Amino acid sequence: MHRFTYTTMHKLLSIGQAAKLLGVSIDTLRRWDSAGRLRSIRTGMRGHRFYNRSDIDQYLQEIDLVALNWAKSTNVTEPNPDVYCQTRDVFQARLEKFQSTLSKNVPIEVVSLITAVAGEIGNNSFDHNLGSWPDISGIFFSYNMRNRKVVLADRGQGILTTLKRVRPELASSSEALKVAFTETISGRYPETRGNGLKFVKAIIVKNPFSLYFQTGDAQLSLKKDDVELNIKQTDTIINGCFALISFEELL
Amino acid sequence: MNIELKKFGTTLVSRPAGKEAWLAFQPVLKGVLPDEKIIVNFDGVVVLTPSWADEFLTPLRNNFKEKVELINTNNSSVKATLSILNQNF
Repeated sequence: MHRFTYTTMHKLLSIGQAAKLLGVSIDTLRRWDSAGRLRSIRTGMRGHRFYNRSDIDQYLQEIDLVALNWAKSTNVTEPNPDVYCQTRDVFQARLEKFQSTLSKNVPIEVVSLITAVAGEIGNNSFDHNLGSWPDISGIFFSYNMRNRKVVLADRGQGILTTLKRVRPELASSSEALKVAFTETISGRYPETRGNGLKFVKAIIVKNPFSLYFQTGDAQLSLKKDDVELNIKQTDTIINGCFALISFEELL
Repeated sequence: MNIELKKFGTTLVSRPAGKEAWLAFQPVLKGVLPDEKIIVNFDGVVVLTPSWADEFLTPLRNNFKEKVELINTNNSSVKATLSILNQNF
């Protein structure tokens, strides 16, 4: 916690304003402050928490952290409108904007593949959770051209719950993750399709891209030339899905 | 018959969009003559995914089999999508 003078107050945000921008609750910001993760500035007679706009802006640059926090938080609000796609139509429009921005920075073959991977992962979230979102519907979609990162997250049911409908024997998120990335399977019984994540894998292993994907307590890391899927158990749990696509090697 | 996919959009990624394209195109497909080839032209498509293609190309191939011919498939995501779909045929 910092103390500060009144003269800098015009640059400060209230805890409510900061929470709204970050897409987390006020309680979460209080916890982050106590843990030293995002420091507030105390001022006024009652020592209310305020935040430097620059600190919030800097934090928002870490799009993967913001998305991950949103995906795993137990007490959550809708994300910042800039990154929140409540419906598939909003996602499609933002994906096309992303594609257009990307085409100013990288070759068209890369634009095509990265947009396809992001589109497939984002639409998967809608396909598998339509009408069944546990709390907040829609997805978090953001990107950072400077860091060559694209992030997608949802607070849906997760891959294990979805695939258990057609594979009741699946016992863990790790198993479900492996099935989703290697087999043609759809949790949308009686549909027989379900090539989406296999397609994602095929693109990542053939190009200078990488993918981090988490669902439940399982994480997958994938990069160019990988033959085996690298799946591990995680300490923290995400009920839905979180995906980070990186293409930094193209710089 | 020539189907120019870019007329459905240049970013063809979601299942509902693919399904809508398939349904909207039914009246046109009803006019296909018995010996007529169906040429699917990918020229101008920037992004294609299996989700969209599964809703449009898969039923097209199921209905018209070897009459379907694909051209201008050089785009990177078009190639990757067709490669995945071909594994299922």
